Amino acid sequence: MSMDLSVPETWRVKGALYRLEAARCKACGRIHYPPMPACPYCGSRDLERVTLPSEGVLESYTVVYAVPEGSRHKAPVLLGLVRLGRVRVVAEITDADPSELRTGMEVEAVLRRIRSDREAGIIRYGVMFRPKLKGGSRGG
Amino acid sequence: MEGRPEGKTGIHGWGAYVPRYRLPMSEIARVWGWAPEQASGLGMKEKAVAGPDEDSVTMGYEAARNALRRASIEASRVGAVFFGTESKPYAVKPSATIIAEALGITPATMASDLEFACRAASEGLRALIGMVASGLIEYGLVIGSDTAQANPGDVLEFTASSGAVAYVIGPREGAVAYFEGSYTYVTDTPDFWRRAHQPYPLHGEGFTGEPAYFHHIENAVKGLLAELGLKPSDFDYAVFHQPNGKFPLRIARRLGIPKEKVLPGLVTPVIGNTYNASALLGLARVLDVAKPGDRILVAPFGSGAGSDAYSIVVTDAIEERRSLAPLFDDYLSRRKEIDYATYAKFRGIFNVIK
Amino acid sequence: MEVYITGVGLTKVGRHFDLGLRELAARAALEALDSARVDKVDAVIVSSTLSYREAGQFDLAGHLAGALGLKGAQTFAVEAGDASGLAAVEAACSLIRAGSAGRVLVVGVDKLTDYVSSRVYRDLQRLYEAEVQALYDIGHAGVAGLLARLYMERFGVSRDTLSYWPAMDHSHAKHNPYAMLPFAIDPAAVPKALKVAEPLTLLDSFPLGDGAAALVLESEPHGDARAKVVLATSAAGYPSFTMNEDPLAPESVGEVAARLREVTGIAPVDVDVIELGDTFTSIGLILAESLGLSEPGRAAVDAMEGRFTLGGDGPVVNPSGGLKARGHPVGATGVYMVGELALQVSGEYPGLKVDGARRGLAVIASGDGSSAHLVLVEGVA
Ligand SMILES: [Zn+2]
Repeated sequence: MSMDLSVPETWRVKGALYRLEAARCKACGRIHYPPMPACPYCGSRDLERVTLPSEGVLESYTVVYAVPEGSRHKAPVLLGLVRLGRVRVVAEITDADPSELRTGMEVEAVLRRIRSDREAGIIRYGVMFRPKLKGGSRGG
Repeated sequence: MEGRPEGKTGIHGWGAYVPRYRLPMSEIARVWGWAPEQASGLGMKEKAVAGPDEDSVTMGYEAARNALRRASIEASRVGAVFFGTESKPYAVKPSATIIAEALGITPATMASDLEFACRAASEGLRALIGMVASGLIEYGLVIGSDTAQANPGDVLEFTASSGAVAYVIGPREGAVAYFEGSYTYVTDTPDFWRRAHQPYPLHGEGFTGEPAYFHHIENAVKGLLAELGLKPSDFDYAVFHQPNGKFPLRIARRLGIPKEKVLPGLVTPVIGNTYNASALLGLARVLDVAKPGDRILVAPFGSGAGSDAYSIVVTDAIEERRSLAPLFDDYLSRRKEIDYATYAKFRGIFNVIK
Repeated sequence: MEVYITGVGLTKVGRHFDLGLRELAARAALEALDSARVDKVDAVIVSSTLSYREAGQFDLAGHLAGALGLKGAQTFAVEAGDASGLAAVEAACSLIRAGSAGRVLVVGVDKLTDYVSSRVYRDLQRLYEAEVQALYDIGHAGVAGLLARLYMERFGVSRDTLSYWPAMDHSHAKHNPYAMLPFAIDPAAVPKALKVAEPLTLLDSFPLGDGAAALVLESEPHGDARAKVVLATSAAGYPSFTMNEDPLAPESVGEVAARLREVTGIAPVDVDVIELGDTFTSIGLILAESLGLSEPGRAAVDAMEGRFTLGGDGPVVNPSGGLKARGHPVGATGVYMVGELALQVSGEYPGLKVDGARRGLAVIASGDGSSAHLVLVEGVA
């Protein structure tokens, strides 16, 4: 029996991965994601947890064909640089064809399986982004 | 009806989810050599297929998020999360806690996965009615979600599909629809099963019909009508478990309910049988269009076997909540057609060394 | 105290299926010792990034020093992602300047061909913030792909123009006997090559190869010194490139460039020859512009116009062929760079020689700029 993915780590990062929990610095006011032990901008340790908006704009994207092991089933992997308010995050884009991606398009967070540890190990769920669903005035 | 526990409770939010991908019936017939008429005999056009990064948890999460948005309550007020599925990502380890955590419902909540073939979520719904009515919890969340399995090449493959639905159940005050009554009818009838460690279920083919589906739904509905003193014509809509496109119309005919009252909630022909979501997803489709005062009959069914029947009455609150989350039709119109090979890859039908 | 480079050992970057990590490292190390005409050192610093994952050897520095007959030497390994080799040189300089060691052997080594490529891509993802960002299947090239599109759209630079950067690397590499890919390429071939992380292709990406390089650094020149290290420094940036105000201007790189000016009074553009850590075309362009070698959005055009090659008006950039064509055996790369620059400023470089070169600069930003490392060498003639 062997496991590639850390079980405690899966548990530790769920705030960031499930709910886009970020950190806001009370000293300089800047927000960073994922949360770090101190503010990367000013070094202050006076941080509070905030939740990033679940909708944002695609600032850049790439279609990864050189996929890492264990991800062939979802190749090519669509990767996005997403702006959520004042913060950028990198995450996979799902439910889209490469040809429909455009910078500037609206995207929304969904929960997906990011990785699963072979047949028997832990499953890591987390946020991915998809093109905003049409009928989109609903659901904000 | 006033004295019944059901009458103290109602639906505060409903949420649908249908994955993006659709497999046309012709693809299954082409690959497995079925007669071209096989799918139309089942009343089927195409079925929804979960993507490679989806499972019953991710789909259930989205349906539940939609339901919570419509309910417009703090997630922490939910006191129980019941997850009905027969396609659990973990055989052991609750899926309900993953969804509860992701939605911010944890930790002061009950949470568990229920199993009763396609009827587990409905059992959860009826349990929540009792728990809310008793005052044990303020709100409860029930989710039906499946990436339904079928043995490749089995006739079941035409219908077994992926989708999810969720409801926030709470007190009658403020509900978008309230319950009038509920009734459950179960027996030991082995029409469909999946043995432990087996990837696909088997079924008794014709035996799934008369002694299973029809017998249980008919008795559940008749039991409900008798208890409430209602007759079929008192309902504006009727939604039945929908393993294919034909059975719901046949049970409706047998109960004397016209087709027009069934069709708005009949979603299987265009998305397939979403198992635990099936009838409850049909109900979500009805709530997307129903008017205040409408009375809805809902009768989920699960193999093994059992059926529940509910009488639900829509309130004025429905109009303002409807627009707070995507409608069933929003998901339906998001459609990407795939071929059998893509379907096989998405659903892990290929044997791949990991 | 001065730090002199007295020995250089380079192996050809390639698929060394016949050599284990230890044997490959030993080839470079022994060559460096021989070229410095010494057989004992006070310290052995090993630079390796992937060897823990790929070769599975802990205390690689101790094991390697012992295997080279250097028992008794101070020994430790240094890891700084893509920039490990430059970090090892920085550590060696610190030991020497502090008087803790008079002679240090720096050995950089990594093997990227002992496992299948998809596993190596998975391991290389660890260069990026690994708990959340690199939990996604970003591969080794995903971030570079995101930056490439951002760059093209921001500056209105076409895909065809980007291609002049790797073409420049390859045109230099064809003279380099240590290069993994010593041949020229047609820029028009780059967009048509196998897509790796769109818009980037295989011809925008460093090849997966094995390599080892070694240096002997000393406080005394011995009359054999090739060069001296004027400055070896580094600066931490942000845990993710997303945290930079401008993702196309990593603050870690700006910081080491500023430090170069503060300490030495010169700017990157003032040196004669530069080796850049251009893991991918987009990273090369961002590095060149963040160091002030080109105006923002202009590096590919400058490369196209020959600014960074022999006869151009800028410093010669990547005469080795860069990471694209010399190769990028990750932990070894910085050591290659410093070795190549030492040979350039001593007039011994066997590849594309920059005649009269006096100052050479090596810069690598690891991954997406989590840290940037810089080494400036100068001839001693
Ligand atoms: Zn701060």
